[in-house]
Amino acid sequence: MTTLARTSTRQRQWRGAILAYLLVAPPLLLMVLLIFIPATQSIARTLTISVDGQPGFSFSRYAAFFSDPISVNNLLFTFQVTLLTLAVIFIVCFPLSLYLRFSTGRIASAVQILALFPLFVPGIILCYALIRFLGTRGTLDTLLSLVGITGYRTPYLKPEAIVIGLVWESIPFTVLVLTAGLRQVSDTLIESARDVGAGDWTIFRRIILPLIVRPALIVFSLNFLGIFGSYTIPYLLGPAAPQMMGVFMQQTFGQYRRPDDAETQAVITFLICAFVGFLYVRTVASQRLTREEE
Amino acid sequence: MATLDLINLTKQFGTVTAVDAVNLSVQDGEFMCILGPSGCGKSTLLRMIAGFEMPTEGDIRIAGDSVTHLGANKRPTAMVFQKYTLWPHMKVFDNIAFGLQLRRLPRAEIARKVEEALALVSLSGYEERYPSQLSGGQQQRVALARAIVLEPKILLLDEPFSSLDAILRVRLREELRRIQRRLKITAIFVTHDQEEALTLADRIAVMNAGRVEQLDAPTQIYDNPATLFVADFIGAMNLLQAQVSGGRIVLSGVTLDAPPGLQDGAATVAIRPEDMALLPDAAHAGAWRAVVEQISDLGHYRRALLDVGDGTLKIYLPKSAAVREGAQVAAFPRRYLIYANGGAPREVTRALPAEALTV
Repeated sequence: MTTLARTSTRQRQWRGAILAYLLVAPPLLLMVLLIFIPATQSIARTLTISVDGQPGFSFSRYAAFFSDPISVNNLLFTFQVTLLTLAVIFIVCFPLSLYLRFSTGRIASAVQILALFPLFVPGIILCYALIRFLGTRGTLDTLLSLVGITGYRTPYLKPEAIVIGLVWESIPFTVLVLTAGLRQVSDTLIESARDVGAGDWTIFRRIILPLIVRPALIVFSLNFLGIFGSYTIPYLLGPAAPQMMGVFMQQTFGQYRRPDDAETQAVITFLICAFVGFLYVRTVASQRLTREEE
Repeated sequence: MATLDLINLTKQFGTVTAVDAVNLSVQDGEFMCILGPSGCGKSTLLRMIAGFEMPTEGDIRIAGDSVTHLGANKRPTAMVFQKYTLWPHMKVFDNIAFGLQLRRLPRAEIARKVEEALALVSLSGYEERYPSQLSGGQQQRVALARAIVLEPKILLLDEPFSSLDAILRVRLREELRRIQRRLKITAIFVTHDQEEALTLADRIAVMNAGRVEQLDAPTQIYDNPATLFVADFIGAMNLLQAQVSGGRIVLSGVTLDAPPGLQDGAATVAIRPEDMALLPDAAHAGAWRAVVEQISDLGHYRRALLDVGDGTLKIYLPKSAAVREGAQVAAFPRRYLIYANGGAPREVTRALPAEALTV
């Protein structure tokens, strides 16, 4: 290669690198400005106390949070609702996704449209619709009365209502990701398993499940993040106590006017979500690495 | 090892008939190739044998027992698919062992059988690798090992080498034939590659539009194609429109002898390029006057395209043939088949003039 050609190749590589950095810069800058800096500042503030007018390092705010039964109860309640909701989401969405992956025809198309419908309903409208449907003397109560079933106990203002609302809201995203993951499992992979003697259950357990671990992890982590920090549905459908962290934070900040405590609650919530976020990033990164290897 | 009988097998998808009343018997230990162009129904036929498609009509019998009502997981068949179908989350060992585990064989026996199967496909020592760590050829060998380890009565292969490069395809083809002969397993191999079929098969079923056009040994299929479709599909062939009249076959530029009893009317004359001889003298009875349009060297022989005024003829010549492009020659058909009235072809063989150049 001549010196001229080498210089030209190097210039092209430089130009490519600069363009790549320019493309990455805006989202990176936004993340730094809107997430990393405020989060770091918040974490730093929650670890700082003023002693005789001088700032000092302390875990006292966290000690206060974890020694307060209401705060701990709210954190545990948030975990319980999140995990229960995730379990129900998988129980509802997995069979639905399997049906959509392996079925064709008009009914499957109609089911797909229905499954995606909640995507187009704003959360607040969904909440009022559920209140009308599930509440005392609501649609469900009325229908049950019509067939002679009385004594209906509404889940409204109970944890179950939060779970129902969050499950409803999460169905479209979960079905989309799981169905896309299932579509990656080709028909021939399934047919070759059937060919060596595997029945439906064995194919599901030994072939399909292991192959959709990654999409399932993505669904788990992204839904976890959404549910753990959710506000509208727990606020409108859930009980007054215990509260989910989103509602608790808002009340501590807005009603009780205790921004320092709200900030500590926010940091705890953020750290839990960041851990799950890390799982998500690791899953996506390993998926990319596998694709590159293939 | 077993026989396979397809009886009046039909498959319809809506109004489209993919496989149309196919009757086929495969002998114990035979290597049968199903050959045909894309969309002729050959893969559908194989998928019905495997149990992935249910026939609209007809019966499938393996070793005399009907398996038509059985699902794919209950049939004594094993299939090697066209695409790479190794389960990506399983190592090579687990891919091969999976079917044996389902049959609840003892672990030691599974390990022994997997080892034997890998040795058979020359992949000993690859047990711990994942499919993504194997080349395409290695993956297809593992797929073959996964099928034969189950000792199926019928081994089904659906264009297993079509996604591999030409050299690897030839090597794996030879390997497959060696394995099949060694195991004496009955095999059905679907392909659209006639060279593959002619090299591998004991018998070939040529399919067209859902039907078997001809079922015969490779040599018979090549030398005596039963229909015009087979004549055109297998190998290179010069197909010429002709008119039979009074014991003569009149073609554009030449008149040939008709076999006795051939009725007057339209016909098609089929001549293999290697059945044509080149005469240096441009004028010769029963031969085309031609100009050599193009000569291509194809390794051990040469291919010439001859301009015969009303078209082009393809002819194979020995490598040593001293013929140049633009030369005036005579093209002499020493053997040809006549297809007329939809009946069986009639063959005519002629004595070759002494001065003829031929492969």
